[in-house]
Amino acid sequence: MANEPLPPFSSSVRLKYVKLGYQYLVNHILTFILIPIIVGISIELARVGPDEILSLVRFLNDLDLIYVMSTLFLVIIVGTVYFMSRPRPVYLVDYACFRPKPNFRVPFSTFLEHARLVPQFDERTVRFQVKILERSGLGEETCLPPANHYIPPTCSMAAARSEAELVIFSAIDELLNKTGMRPKNIDILIVNCSLFSPTPSLSAMIVNKYKLRSNILSFNLSGMGCSAGLISLDLARDLLQAHGNSNALVVSTEIITPNYYLGKERAMLLPNCLFRMGAAAVLLSNCRRERSRAKYRLTHVVRTHKGADDAAYRCVFQEQDSEGLTGINLSKDLMAIAGDALKSNITTMGPLVLPASEQLLFLFSLIARKVFKAKWKPYIPDFRLAFEHFCIHAGGRAVIDELQKNLQLSDQHVEASRMALHRFGNTSSSSLWYELNYIESKGRMKKGDRVWMIGFGSGFKCNSAVWKCLKTIKTPVDGPWSTSIHRYPVDIPAVVKVL
Amino acid sequence: MTVSVETRRSRVTVYAKSTAPSLTPVKPGKTHEFTALDHSMSRHSVHLVCYYRQEPTVTMTALKESLCDVLSYYPAMTGRLVKNEGDGCGEWMVKCNDAGVRMVDARADTTLDEFLASATDEEERQLAYWEDVGSDPYLWSPYCIQFTDFKDGSMAVGISCTHFHADPTCVAVFARAWSETHRRALVTCPPFFHPWAFYPRKNPVPSSPHLSEKSTIPPPLHPPAMSSVTFAFSASSVRQCLADLQLSNLSPFDALASLLWLRISSYKSASLGTAQLTLAVDCRRRMSAPLPLGFYGNALHFFGVKADLSSGWIHIASELNRHVSGIKEDDVWSSVEWLHERSKEKAFQMYGPELTCLAWDNVPVYNAEFSPGAIPVHVGCRIGNAQGEGLVVIMAGAPGEGEEARTVIVTLPTDLTAQIYRDEAILKYGPKIMFSPNI
Repeated sequence: MANEPLPPFSSSVRLKYVKLGYQYLVNHILTFILIPIIVGISIELARVGPDEILSLVRFLNDLDLIYVMSTLFLVIIVGTVYFMSRPRPVYLVDYACFRPKPNFRVPFSTFLEHARLVPQFDERTVRFQVKILERSGLGEETCLPPANHYIPPTCSMAAARSEAELVIFSAIDELLNKTGMRPKNIDILIVNCSLFSPTPSLSAMIVNKYKLRSNILSFNLSGMGCSAGLISLDLARDLLQAHGNSNALVVSTEIITPNYYLGKERAMLLPNCLFRMGAAAVLLSNCRRERSRAKYRLTHVVRTHKGADDAAYRCVFQEQDSEGLTGINLSKDLMAIAGDALKSNITTMGPLVLPASEQLLFLFSLIARKVFKAKWKPYIPDFRLAFEHFCIHAGGRAVIDELQKNLQLSDQHVEASRMALHRFGNTSSSSLWYELNYIESKGRMKKGDRVWMIGFGSGFKCNSAVWKCLKTIKTPVDGPWSTSIHRYPVDIPAVVKVL
Repeated sequence: MTVSVETRRSRVTVYAKSTAPSLTPVKPGKTHEFTALDHSMSRHSVHLVCYYRQEPTVTMTALKESLCDVLSYYPAMTGRLVKNEGDGCGEWMVKCNDAGVRMVDARADTTLDEFLASATDEEERQLAYWEDVGSDPYLWSPYCIQFTDFKDGSMAVGISCTHFHADPTCVAVFARAWSETHRRALVTCPPFFHPWAFYPRKNPVPSSPHLSEKSTIPPPLHPPAMSSVTFAFSASSVRQCLADLQLSNLSPFDALASLLWLRISSYKSASLGTAQLTLAVDCRRRMSAPLPLGFYGNALHFFGVKADLSSGWIHIASELNRHVSGIKEDDVWSSVEWLHERSKEKAFQMYGPELTCLAWDNVPVYNAEFSPGAIPVHVGCRIGNAQGEGLVVIMAGAPGEGEEARTVIVTLPTDLTAQIYRDEAILKYGPKIMFSPNI
């Protein structure tokens, strides 16, 4: 995707107003066509006297009853078919994020001290981790699970299970409290956790803890990377189309405990430095009565999988290093592959969400380049017209920078992602929900706003979800940002000196 | 530390080490400077162990959480040692880099009562895990907190730290602040960071004959193996001591310190003559501008007391009383100024190598109540690296035993310890003997 900025003449004021005028014209074309028609009819009605109207009414009365009834029934049947074939709306009733206790905090100095004290890391490895941490965009309040605070980390299965219980149960408890939903009323349960997949699954753990119904539809998605949260949403949406009047609980998390890499391979050390503890629980519903208290409605989900390409498939790869230690290998062309996946995703997303004005411009530009072989740069549609808020997966500073450049977003658009990365670190699939909560906590979410959630993950996948806000969210918001929102946004320097 | 006979296997097992951060991040760039007194104590370490009965709120997890909470008030504790680049006092200072304090988890294979009745000196030492500074002081936590679970759910909390940072009073006040934070009560003695408290006066008179003499003593080539024994004197035993002394103005400290001095010296050499005892006294309250109890750092004044041991116990006790009550503030300032002059030089051993006594019974130590009303069953305090002729620590006893009750921890060369805890003159007063060496 060519990312050069548009030529300088486009920033002149006159062209800006031309562009605005064009947008209003094309996006409201129906209104513009209807107005002359209405005016015409009104003038006609005004011209025609009351006698002509009466004669028209008498004419209608003389029609056979059968014609009238058939027309009426036809209208009713068409209307019914139309309403029944519409997809069921999927409402987001509420969501809750895990709030890590500050005693699990990992300041940079503690992280590096542990890296030095653990015998498996040599000097080169420690220096690399220092460099990563300094440029990571993380803050001093990110949290790691209890097992990672030990020297050396005690990564047992029991510790992983207890971390899972801690994060998942806190998020679900908070969600059930906020919504007043009784566990027996949950019909669908979907859990996604990429790197920890015990038997019985985490979804079985939740069914056991909350005594969910025996005919619950439970799913556990593992190994699907950081974009699995949106995959779970897509699955929930499809299930809610098949089952009416249902509630779905979607839990997104990543369990850090079993995945601390104790080897020397540099490409595998990044997750140690960036991944942090987090979880989110989301309640979706297609019940009509939830419409009044639901916060958002899910309008689109677009999933793009680039796994057919070998380079994309091997981009984020869990494997054993030369010493037999398992870690996640991040390849050097991660950013390029991410950009490519994003391009595919927005090519599909564009026609669904962009206003007609942008689509027409894109079409003209495409025709000009392909058919008339004009030497124009490919037109990048302005997604800021389609969305008010952006939640970009806080995978790392580089990911956010790349997306900001590709989509030409302002600093305020990516502020939620940067601040969530600073405060909570890379919490994998749940990071989108922390970012959404940031936007709400800042009081920026108004009724009618559209939110674009973009997730990237191993595979290589790029998934998007589009939400429409159904009611203005009032501050203060009770959530993971309650204790720290007043300190944000902060200015994050490019390099934080640790030592 | 060698023991002459077969050692019983210790019942204390350390199984995990971790780090506790403070709850609130420390502002970057914060530092803490040491005083001359702090630098002088850098060769020693303090170990305080408090024992608690089982309480529902006193669990390892809950204590770790409240530890993180109280550390927010003590940024100096979570910092690391760095070289003092400026012209401040001494070679080292603390960079408050928010690295946290070390925590150690342990378990003891016995119940609390059984342990208090039968544990050896070595086992009590293992309740306060300590690692000396290794090759890189920047990675070394100056504090180490050990949590030991007993079989019956009781808990022992061991706080070890370098004497560089804090003296025993400071550690006891920290324990109290921690317990108050745990109970969600008001912290009565918040820490007071004021390294300028012991800056030399405008017209300094640096002079300390006692310390000058100590600094010239060469360190012993083969320091003897040391072991300790604890005597817990109840109020009635102390009152009996005082009654035997027949002088009305003596304090429990005078009686017990003189008794031990006499008995230890009599075992060291058959003939008694004039001898010198080094006393260490907390001087927070003795300054004309008294330092608050929460003053973070060292405030111990070391001075020598000479007495003729052959003149009898009563004479020794009254000499001690005279010297302790007669400490002049000028003497304290003079020795601080003398230490300040030589602060850039290598520190020498302060507790020892001659016989030393720490007068610590005026500081309340049984007030670290993690659960309301649940005071520690027992509190012990040790000083690390006090090799030589020995160290006697006299501290307050359990409140249940009475106001005059005292706990005396005697650290001596191993063969002397074996004799002292069988000494008739001391056993006459019926102290409870705890944590004797493994013999």
